[in-house]
Amino acid sequence: MGDFLSGAVPVILGLAVLALLVLATLRLGIRFVIRRLVGLVFVIIGVTFITFIMGYFAPGNAVYTQLGQHYTKEAYDHLTQFYGLNLPWYQQYLNFLARLLHFDLGYSFINEADSVWTILGRYVPASAVLGIGGVVLAVLVGVPLGVIAAVRARTRVDGTVQGVALVLFALPSFVIIPLFDLVMVWLHSQGLPSLAVSGWGTLDTMIAPIVIFSASIFAFYVRLTRSSMLEVLGQDYVRTARAKGIHERMVIWRHAFRNALIPLLTAVGPALAFAVVGVFVVELLFNIPGIGTETIAAITQRDFPVVQGTVILLAVTIVFMNLLTDIAYGFADPRIKTE
Amino acid sequence: MTINRDFEEQSAGAQVGVGPFYDNANAPTQAALDTQVMMDSPEAKSRSPLVASLRRFARDKRAMISLALIVIIVGIAFIGPLIYMHIGPTIIGGPSLQDHIGPQIYHDPTHQELTRLNQPPSAAYPLGTDQLGRDILARLMAGVQVSIVITAVVVTFDVVLGLVIGTLAGFFGGWMDTFLARFTDLMFAFPILLFAILAAATLGPAFIDRFGPSGRLLLVALALGFTIWPQMARFVRGQTLSLKGQQYVEAARSVGGTDRAVIMRHIVPNLFNIVLTAATLDMVGIITAEATLSLLGLGVQAPGSSLGLMISDASGQIYIQWTEVLWPVLVLAALVLCFSFVGDGVGDAFNPRTKD
Repeated sequence: MGDFLSGAVPVILGLAVLALLVLATLRLGIRFVIRRLVGLVFVIIGVTFITFIMGYFAPGNAVYTQLGQHYTKEAYDHLTQFYGLNLPWYQQYLNFLARLLHFDLGYSFINEADSVWTILGRYVPASAVLGIGGVVLAVLVGVPLGVIAAVRARTRVDGTVQGVALVLFALPSFVIIPLFDLVMVWLHSQGLPSLAVSGWGTLDTMIAPIVIFSASIFAFYVRLTRSSMLEVLGQDYVRTARAKGIHERMVIWRHAFRNALIPLLTAVGPALAFAVVGVFVVELLFNIPGIGTETIAAITQRDFPVVQGTVILLAVTIVFMNLLTDIAYGFADPRIKTE
Repeated sequence: MTINRDFEEQSAGAQVGVGPFYDNANAPTQAALDTQVMMDSPEAKSRSPLVASLRRFARDKRAMISLALIVIIVGIAFIGPLIYMHIGPTIIGGPSLQDHIGPQIYHDPTHQELTRLNQPPSAAYPLGTDQLGRDILARLMAGVQVSIVITAVVVTFDVVLGLVIGTLAGFFGGWMDTFLARFTDLMFAFPILLFAILAAATLGPAFIDRFGPSGRLLLVALALGFTIWPQMARFVRGQTLSLKGQQYVEAARSVGGTDRAVIMRHIVPNLFNIVLTAATLDMVGIITAEATLSLLGLGVQAPGSSLGLMISDASGQIYIQWTEVLWPVLVLAALVLCFSFVGDGVGDAFNPRTKD
């Protein structure tokens, strides 16, 4: 199983998942949670099967690749046996599912000493910091801007915020990153302070990727917050609150914003899916040793156990994020409850 | 029906709005549909809703300028090379390095002029050359062609499949509906790009063997089309469900309209707005996705050209000739921005909630 499962991280993660499930059961009822978990099983079988079939029919032989110049018949047979590649495809897939029940993801095709868990443990931290940092920054900047744009709808402020949001929304990060690189190269050549254009680990290498990544998603929150707030601001209860003479700031944040939260929470799941895709490109162009870079490397090297591992990781994350969203609904709007 | 049920619907609706390209605000809603008749201004009443929408669209300056720019860029990309092949001085180079070669040769997007690597703009090369001595302008035009062709193929796939399956699932329910729901769940947990990357990497060689050099393009289009249609189908399904409950559909049924007639005459025409809006916004996603795949080295391969491939090649040359990375980035940015402005405009103009 490898060292990833032996540290404190998996214990914390496990407790977090357990807490999430308990909370979900309390808020949404056991039937809802069970339905979601059944859905998760279905999704995992689906995505792993698609990945498996593609890997199985892909050209190339993992064992040959791994052995390279050190090919001998014995070593070849040994490794084929080790990975179970001598079995028929359905047997291979069933074995994979059986091992999955024990949280065993198997071993890398490139290096048989590395379990998939080890590899995930090695590359997930950078991606997690980048992804979570980017989303948090995007929410912190995007949501207030969206509220301001809605409150000042159809003014110059609104127009500017919307314009910037639309441009950043449309431009993929691989358009922004080369431009950023150009600016940094120029700054550097002028002897001015500049940020690193590649690498990961120290603060000055982390700023640019996180900011650029969050720039690509913050517009999503701006637009969503604005439209959601506009809808709420037209409601009768907002007019009532104003009529009672409540301070405008209170009206906006207490009465309107809380009601505008629901569509925003709904966006958490999709934003996460988008975050994953965005992270791929940002990681690649900034040379960040994250899960995106590793997944692409694994796919091009036909290291399918690792690909399976990342695919499962993504699927599980997304399903649990959706569960979290559903719980958050209940807090934002107490009317939403199960039978 | 409990409140929870509604909220399930809501979260399902949210899943449709996956990714960056759907803004829930732009998706026409049931409420919007209901108010369509009421909201139309008196002058619009005399015209068909389509004409009214087109007029609204024509008045949207930003969208019209963007549309014009798209037409110009696409026109240059497809017609430009025919003229460009004959413009330019004769230069000395070629395989022997001493031949006199004309623009017919060195303005070919795949021709490498090995003595002229990473050159700044000149008379022969208006935008300079890349790291293999290929003409950047010629490669840009070829790259835009790829973007546009892939977008056209994928959007067609998207609309046809999304419309057919979405309508059937919404109208009849049953196994088709279950299949759609499960398939969307699956694709939702399988980030679109990851699937396309996987398909391109594993099946790429086989497609090239079977279909030649353009096999890779076909594969990219298929992979993107395969992953993008469930979103469209979910949109269409939701709209079909609400249309089904409308009184005019009931009326059509009560006078003996068959399912087929009801679908073709009353449901499908009313899906036009939502499909058009979603498809325009999808185009932005497709252009970006193709460029991303090529950037990762899994889409169009050299000697073919693609904007993503050009950015990836040129980003290694930043210290040598920095303008190289600028051109494909600017063209891609222009394309993507124009398409999203047009998409925004279409969303506004064809959304019945917007009034003049």
